[in-house]
Amino acid sequence: MQEIQTKAASTKQNTELLDRLRKIRKRLYRERELWFINSFALAWVIIFAYVPMYGIIYSFFDYFPGKKLSESEFVGLKYYIEFFTLPDAWLIIRNTLVISGLGLTIGFVSPILLALFINEIKSFKFKRLIQTISYLPHFVSWIVVASIIFTMLGSEGIVNDVLMKAGLINQPLSILGEGKYFWGLLTTSNIWKGVGWASIIYLAAIAGIDQELYQAGAVDGLGRFGMAWHITLPGIRPTVILLFILGIGSLLNAGFEQQLLLGTPMTREYHEVIDTYVYRYGIQLGRYSFATAVGFMSAIIGLALVLITNKLSKKLTDYSII
Amino acid sequence: MRASYVKNSTSGRIFDVFNVLFMVILAFVMVYPFWNQLIVSFNDGVDTARGGLYFWPREFTLDNYHYMFEKSNLAKGALISILRVVVGTVTTLFFSGLLAYVTTVKWFSGRRFTRFLFLITLYFSGGLVPTYLLINKLNLMDTFTVYWLPSLFSAYYMLLISSYMYNLPDALAESARIDGCNELMIYMKIIAPLCIPVFAAVAVFSAVSHWNSWFDVILYNSSGKWDTLQVYLRKILLDVEQVGKLADEQKQMAEMRKLTPQSIRAATTMIVTLPIMLSYPFFQRYFMSGITIGAVKE
Repeated sequence: MQEIQTKAASTKQNTELLDRLRKIRKRLYRERELWFINSFALAWVIIFAYVPMYGIIYSFFDYFPGKKLSESEFVGLKYYIEFFTLPDAWLIIRNTLVISGLGLTIGFVSPILLALFINEIKSFKFKRLIQTISYLPHFVSWIVVASIIFTMLGSEGIVNDVLMKAGLINQPLSILGEGKYFWGLLTTSNIWKGVGWASIIYLAAIAGIDQELYQAGAVDGLGRFGMAWHITLPGIRPTVILLFILGIGSLLNAGFEQQLLLGTPMTREYHEVIDTYVYRYGIQLGRYSFATAVGFMSAIIGLALVLITNKLSKKLTDYSII
Repeated sequence: MRASYVKNSTSGRIFDVFNVLFMVILAFVMVYPFWNQLIVSFNDGVDTARGGLYFWPREFTLDNYHYMFEKSNLAKGALISILRVVVGTVTTLFFSGLLAYVTTVKWFSGRRFTRFLFLITLYFSGGLVPTYLLINKLNLMDTFTVYWLPSLFSAYYMLLISSYMYNLPDALAESARIDGCNELMIYMKIIAPLCIPVFAAVAVFSAVSHWNSWFDVILYNSSGKWDTLQVYLRKILLDVEQVGKLADEQKQMAEMRKLTPQSIRAATTMIVTLPIMLSYPFFQRYFMSGITIGAVKE
């Protein structure tokens, strides 16, 4: 009796399962064209994004090119620990943090200020012109920027020329050759290249502020400075917080194109950052496992920083990105 | 405009004057470096080295450009750069747009999953070395394919395009479906033409980034077979050997005597920058819309 019941129940279950399968099959058949198209995207993202993520596993092995992973020796965290025992490690971490830190402070505030000042321009045409000019440098490559910097700041360049003629210096400054100028040079060129472009997003946010607030402000007797302080700045607060979270997340990405192009062996003590270090050790010296370990650590810390700042921001200000 | 809500006080007017002055200085700082490079490129190299060249070429010459076109592989580099921009932009537009379309079909069951897989790539990646090893394993080293295949689908472009597609009425695609149109046709014939503004913005981003990229060239095309313009400029900039070769050639030819590495570099820089500068007035109206769409979605 019981057997029959279980049998009946299982047949019922089976028919339900079959029914569901049939439904799924029907659905897949209806969506067959979309799945066909989608399969290209999925194949691509697996190969070009997820296979490299899997490749992080190399950092736990003594991997050499030409050798299979299964033949490589498992070394655990050896390379992760090795990085911290190197005398270079702290230098690189310092450079990375200083360069990003400058970017997250001066580099972060300057586009906000620029947007506020551009917003105060009264003539629409002039405003448009200034905006267009300000983001021009964003569209040229770092190689072009480096070339311009070499020409203008070199010992025969126009900057030294003008400084000498003005009597401020007696002999040309070696701005590119001396390490002590490097952080300033890098931050300045980063701002020059990116400030206009970064300000677009703030200008868009300013344009989205309710105009009635300004009317109300005028009734309450706010001046121009008061409006900028009490209405415009609070109005772009969500945008500022959002971009700051993203900025914190890339704290360990201090850029590398700039360093590779502007840095010289003389400035290495100041320009070497995590990303250039990974390039030098991983690609140029072929220490794949070690460089993967260093790169992975930096990526994981970056991800953790985004998640932590995001959570903090959600708690404190109610804004979050994820 | 909101400025009209404020009384025009004296302090306000003083601020306006300083603000305009500040903007003029800013514009000068943004434009002058390019101008400086331009006049150096049109000036006699030996004369430039004497200094004092500020706003106008002193001894006008075309020798720098002449040399670059005659003596180097610049034309070949330019051709490869253009090919890269065209192929890279067309493929990424088509495929990232297709991806955006697929993820906006509301009844498609794989839509969330696909979107999720791509969004993760915005926050985390395998990094430089694993990607390098993958490209090596796929036999993409020293090929032209390495310029467009790894950037075929982009999560960022997907976000931009799909946020635009969300605002299109579903009925458009639905009625075409009833008429027996297949999905690829719906995308190409109905949806894509309506998305021209966002495609234009993405095309600008993609074209500029393809024109400007150089790191993947030295990373994946170390043989120099597919060197782009940017890489030629980099060689003149950093490669001591290349500069030495230049100097040797110079000594052999009387008419090249007046060139200096600096003037040749300036000419090359202008050749690399010029396409951006010339197309800038045309494309600049497109990216404004693009970046603000991105701001909303991020």
